[in-house]
Amino acid sequence: MKDFMMIFVGADYGTLGLSPDELQSRYGKWFAWTTKMQKNGVMKSGEALQPQVKRVVGPERTVTDGPFMESKELIGGFYIVQAKNAEDVVEIAQDYPDYDLGGTVEIREVMVFDR
Amino acid sequence: MRDEKLAAHLFRHQYGRMVSILTRIFGLAQLEMVEDAVQDTFAKALLSWRNKVPENPEAWLVAAAKNRAIDLLRKAKSDQFRIGKVPSGPATVLLNELFLENEVEDSQLRMVFTACHPALKPTEQIAFALKTISGFGIREIASALLLKEETVKKRLSRARKTIVQRSISFAIPNASELPARLDRVLEVLYLTFNEGFHSNNKAILIRRELCGEAIRLCRLLLTKESLRTGKVYALFAIMCFHAARLDSRVDGDGEIVDIKHQDRSKWYLPLINLGHSAMMKATTNGQYSAYHYEAAIAAEHLRAETFEATDWTQILHWYDQLLTLQDSAFTRLNKSVVLMQLGDFAQAKKILDDLVVGELAQRKYLYHSAYAEYYFLTGHPQAALKSINRCLELVNSEPEKRYFERKKTGYKSDR
Repeated sequence: MKDFMMIFVGADYGTLGLSPDELQSRYGKWFAWTTKMQKNGVMKSGEALQPQVKRVVGPERTVTDGPFMESKELIGGFYIVQAKNAEDVVEIAQDYPDYDLGGTVEIREVMVFDR
Repeated sequence: MRDEKLAAHLFRHQYGRMVSILTRIFGLAQLEMVEDAVQDTFAKALLSWRNKVPENPEAWLVAAAKNRAIDLLRKAKSDQFRIGKVPSGPATVLLNELFLENEVEDSQLRMVFTACHPALKPTEQIAFALKTISGFGIREIASALLLKEETVKKRLSRARKTIVQRSISFAIPNASELPARLDRVLEVLYLTFNEGFHSNNKAILIRRELCGEAIRLCRLLLTKESLRTGKVYALFAIMCFHAARLDSRVDGDGEIVDIKHQDRSKWYLPLINLGHSAMMKATTNGQYSAYHYEAAIAAEHLRAETFEATDWTQILHWYDQLLTLQDSAFTRLNKSVVLMQLGDFAQAKKILDDLVVGELAQRKYLYHSAYAEYYFLTGHPQAALKSINRCLELVNSEPEKRYFERKKTGYKSDR
């Protein structure tokens, strides 16, 4: 088994102007998906991220405040899951709830360093 | 979908409550900021609930709103934006009080009176009430009221602007203004309910929710002693009586079923009973309004065990009473239909002939359908067909069109 990170890009609820009812139905879908992953033992951890961005850049360590990108490019959160291979994670990502809001799932394998 | 852990419309109802509470703290001038803050609180709730739902989601949301209010107050004090009246002193004590149930109701009632303020146009009042009190989104309002989203946005922003320009106060009107202002509130609730009840379109579900909201808000009025008037009770009764029939009004295929053919066993008894007890309270002081007579008519229909058992004489009596208080083309039209049931065709036709059709506006097709019925029942099938065709040319909604098409088939075959 390997670890993979699913990175959720776009579909920032804060900027989409969803109604309370729409938000509640989103919540239901996320909860169902997460529960399914937990039950199947694939879910290791995950976090949601605040939309505010600070950036430190260059030898001068210049600090700038975002936004730097459009909200559709903003990373909203990530999950770390266990799977045999990336194809299995693609399978898991089928149930990501926010494709219809323009959301994207990026799948990256977590690198393992041999001692 | 596995969100049965959350009460239906939890977010929507909480939205209305929180917007009301925060508006009470920050004032109507800050309504937009308040709505954004509540929206944002919900979006955050959503993210943090992905992995684990809190034990008590409602309490979680309330706590989040409270924290948000405290944040905003701090921000206000640091003078980032100017607010007329920021509560001074131990703000958190005051805050906690505002989140107590009866204070929440009070805040919501203030919002109801704001939404129904006479300075707003009726069309704006409904949109504004659905947004700020009921927590509907722009898309949902548009589909419930059959409007374009742009139109809804315009109405909302006009309403907000008027509220700020006229510095409308966020309050329940004082005793001298109350009767007139309450009348306006009842009108808006009545219109909202009718939007949901009488129109038929694809988005039937959302329209039922309009009925539900109207009932919920009417109930909210009744939580306050000073608002428990006969009219409010009578309007509440009308809504209960009509809502009891909602399920039987369409069949499994979404086709309209008229009252003659409705499955009366499907009428929802608890709502009927609720309506009756409201009527008892509505009639205690012996003053009757148009709402009373409309409720009486609805009750009379519900009382009949079969369509044939309907007491049309009693219904006619209520219509005559109603007409003395509120003479409208629509009520006259209904009266003529009742007269036809009683076999008084001459009188029925006279009413139709004298009707000022323009007053019926988009419901003009009902006038032609009434004529069609008249001609059919008096043995003039050709004239009946002509009238029903006229009706079909004017009717907009698809289910209603199909309903009248079926009537037409009946006129052809049943000679």
